Amino acid sequence: MPTLTIDGREITVEPGTRIIEAADRLGIDIPRFCYHPGLPVAGNCRMCLVDTNRSPKPVASCWDPCQEGHVVTTNSPRILEARRSVLEYILLNHPVDCPICDQAGECELQDLYFAHDHQASRHPFHKHHKDKARVLGPQIVYDAERCINCTRCIRVCEEVAKAPQLVQVQRGERAYIDVFPGTQLDHPYSMCTADVCPVGALTTRDFRFKCRAWLTHGIQTVCGECSRGCGIRADVYRNEVQRLVPRHNPDVNQYWACDHGRLAYHRFETGRVAAVRIGGATTDYAKGVREVAEALPGAALRGVAVVLTPWMTDEDAWAVVTAIRSVAPGATFAVGGAAPGAADEVLVLADKNPNRNGLARVLADLAVTPVALDEIVAQAPALGALIVFGAEHAKAEALAGALARVPLSIVLAALEGPLTAAARFVFPSTSPYETDGTWVNEQGVVQRVRRAVQPAGDVRDFAVWASDLADRLGQPLPAPARASGGNP
Amino acid sequence: MVKVKVVERPPADLVVQSWLPELWKGMKVTGRHFFVNLLTQKGIVTSQYPEVKRVYPPRTRGKHRLMRREDGSVRCVACFMCSTACPADCIRIVAGQRDDENEKFPVVFEVDFIKCVFCGMCEEACPCDAIRLDSGVHRAPAYTRKDELNGKEDLLSLGSLSVARQGGDLK
Amino acid sequence: MTLTFVLLTLAKIVGFILVFCVILAAILTWVERKMSSIIQDRIGPNRAEILGIRAFGLFHPIADMIKSFTKEDFVPAGANRIMFFLAPAFALIPTLVVFAVVPFGPGDLVIANLDSGMLFVFAIMGFGIYGVTLGGWASASNFAMLGALRGAAQMVSYEVSMGLNVVGIFAVFGTVSLTQIVGAQGHLLWGWLPMWGIVVQPLGFVLFLVAAMAENKRAPFDLPEGESEIIGYFVEYSAMGFATFMLSEFIEIVVIACIAATLFFGGWQIPWLDPTGTAGGWITVAQVAFFAFKVLFLCWFQMLIRWTVPRFRYDQVMSLGWKVLLPLSLANILVTAVVLALVA
Repeated sequence: MPTLTIDGREITVEPGTRIIEAADRLGIDIPRFCYHPGLPVAGNCRMCLVDTNRSPKPVASCWDPCQEGHVVTTNSPRILEARRSVLEYILLNHPVDCPICDQAGECELQDLYFAHDHQASRHPFHKHHKDKARVLGPQIVYDAERCINCTRCIRVCEEVAKAPQLVQVQRGERAYIDVFPGTQLDHPYSMCTADVCPVGALTTRDFRFKCRAWLTHGIQTVCGECSRGCGIRADVYRNEVQRLVPRHNPDVNQYWACDHGRLAYHRFETGRVAAVRIGGATTDYAKGVREVAEALPGAALRGVAVVLTPWMTDEDAWAVVTAIRSVAPGATFAVGGAAPGAADEVLVLADKNPNRNGLARVLADLAVTPVALDEIVAQAPALGALIVFGAEHAKAEALAGALARVPLSIVLAALEGPLTAAARFVFPSTSPYETDGTWVNEQGVVQRVRRAVQPAGDVRDFAVWASDLADRLGQPLPAPARASGGNP
Repeated sequence: MVKVKVVERPPADLVVQSWLPELWKGMKVTGRHFFVNLLTQKGIVTSQYPEVKRVYPPRTRGKHRLMRREDGSVRCVACFMCSTACPADCIRIVAGQRDDENEKFPVVFEVDFIKCVFCGMCEEACPCDAIRLDSGVHRAPAYTRKDELNGKEDLLSLGSLSVARQGGDLK
Repeated sequence: MTLTFVLLTLAKIVGFILVFCVILAAILTWVERKMSSIIQDRIGPNRAEILGIRAFGLFHPIADMIKSFTKEDFVPAGANRIMFFLAPAFALIPTLVVFAVVPFGPGDLVIANLDSGMLFVFAIMGFGIYGVTLGGWASASNFAMLGALRGAAQMVSYEVSMGLNVVGIFAVFGTVSLTQIVGAQGHLLWGWLPMWGIVVQPLGFVLFLVAAMAENKRAPFDLPEGESEIIGYFVEYSAMGFATFMLSEFIEIVVIACIAATLFFGGWQIPWLDPTGTAGGWITVAQVAFFAFKVLFLCWFQMLIRWTVPRFRYDQVMSLGWKVLLPLSLANILVTAVVLALVA
């Protein structure tokens, strides 16, 4: 266990730890471009130079391992001058087109220029021009002029996605990143290359020119596209999700997220259930809840069946089950959910529902034994009421048929589909970016989902709907449930 | 520390309370204005608006205008600096891609004059000399809120050629 | 009562009341606006024009009149319609009737030469209060009612001191007939000083003017109406009803000017010239013109006060009336009586 001193502060680290990691632990800021904690070390940008007592020359702190008795200086005049010189070289042919660059505002080059260089270009000749707006793949656009050749993107493809699709071609000032001839950058984690890119060289086609980084505010939430539950940050501007970027979570997804999950917010931009409907006619939310509350006790005499969705948060599940059992103690519950899909070795899991694990735990807590979905479909003609939560169910067609045969059929969903077409009562509910609550992923990690966007109109969380229904039935839910529902 | 100036109140003696001397003083003032303005019109500050219009000061801002390049296209590169700097949040931009080296341009560039406070921050923020707040054209009121939105074409019609280069003439 | 007398009286009514006083009142509306504007360094109304002639905005009274005639005569719901329409007339007619006893020239140049003169004036002017209270009450509006109550209280209060103020004049000249008071003001004091009311009753004049302006509800005593800021007794009136109230106010300015000129400025008397008023010819014309000049000056003077003095608070109005004007007028009577007793 080597003990070393960085800027006069001592730290003991495991053998093999790089100086830059030790400095990060101490909170000492060493500028860097090519170093990324989730990637192997390349040591090519020379931005992280530090002075040590073991070497006459400055060394790259991202490469040099900590040794016993190391004395590291990160802020000597020589180091500051070295950083300034490195930056000047990096910026030699940089186009400085920040006004049209999507990275502006979150650009490491921009930040470090203002922190360490901050001088006008001394380059008296024309700058070297390279390709701009070169499409590398379905998700990524590459600007060779802005590129500083740190090779983070190449390492992401090789080490994280296990798909070595990018390569550095040419040398010196002519070097740039490219795909192999006749191929394109199309692996399922290609957008991570844009995330790790410290400058605006790699940008996602999804976010390109859409909004400026500084206008958005990031909401820390969780991706719902599979049961991995990757941590994501939803960047919101004017109450619209502008993009999703992965959030560092060492227990779940490290620094990464798949392209599909990051583009999933587009699914909730169209085809939303816009208003409460009774028998196809638009009505207001209060009236819808009132009519359900009037019809439900009568229907409960014949039997009530509920199809829950593993997209609902734990709070939603608790409120829904509690409210419905208050009027129909004998109600049967089933768990629906999207069909299993493809999985890979990196992050994507086969179960495409984010909270199956959490839902099972809540049901167990409430002593509910869910029945099979097919059983409910088979019982449908004898039922008094069938309530379906969510639109994404593997057996949607069968469920729609069951809904059509039940006198009181209720669907609460964010998206239109065969279920909303078949049900008599349709309530709009929140998308995963509009809800607030808790999900438990397949590994059992409990994560908080946060409301990034305020829902419009009569869109309500399942828990809010259940709470309002319970109020109407004269059996209000306990106060904490109402608070967690978070009525917009 | 705030300096407090204590204003002395004159004692309300019988002369003041009788009102008449003070009334006489007041009537001397109003009477002076009356006769001076009746005979010479010296103090009158009214300007006869529709016939006589005041000359705007040279630094009047007026409506925004969008400048053009030599090829006639809009100079704006949709960098959102103006809408970021805008304290009234009155500028709405939707960026689009173009195929020349300028790459980015505003598909929509809307100034909502009902919100605009004509502070000139957008002009100062602009890195491309694309938006200027010096047209001197007075912002006329409109009948509907929608009419207050001035789009790219409106603002370009006030604009003219600019050959300014980013970073000025410095190499 | 001969036909000649009837025709002569009609001619005097038309000539003095309708032509001089009413037209003067109409012009005063213009004077008031124009005067306020030039006192405040503005130009004032100047846009109304006939065939391109603007005449300093002199057509604005005509424009106002046309507007008043053509606007909707709005009656609020729940209003007493009869009283609502009668109230402006109650305000207007007494002010016109007062002119009957004002001598505008020597000899027969008065419409009704009553011995009771000034008492008649007080009696008739007391009617003016009916216009205010009826207008406020008939509007069926709480605000108008409050304005009417304020107006009634104020007018009643100042009626008292106004009456007492002129008792000194009665005592000095030994008569209440306006014709005889004017005649008496032709005498000279100590052989050179015209014995005008303002000379023998200076305090009486000041008190009379204050009380009369308060009676007329003009600034600084305009609490019952308060043109725009306070809601007054004619808040529900529009069109001609409102115009009539306003017109009666302006006519009352002329009334006050006439009475003040008659009591305190020698009426038609030109100092040291024909004090008996028997010369006839051009001298009589000059005397009538001099009376008109005095009236115009006093109208101007009232307007100047209006644009000089800010409005009083209501409690200030009341305490001024009861605690200052009333004791002072009583003291004035006492001093006058003592002096007269000593001189006699």
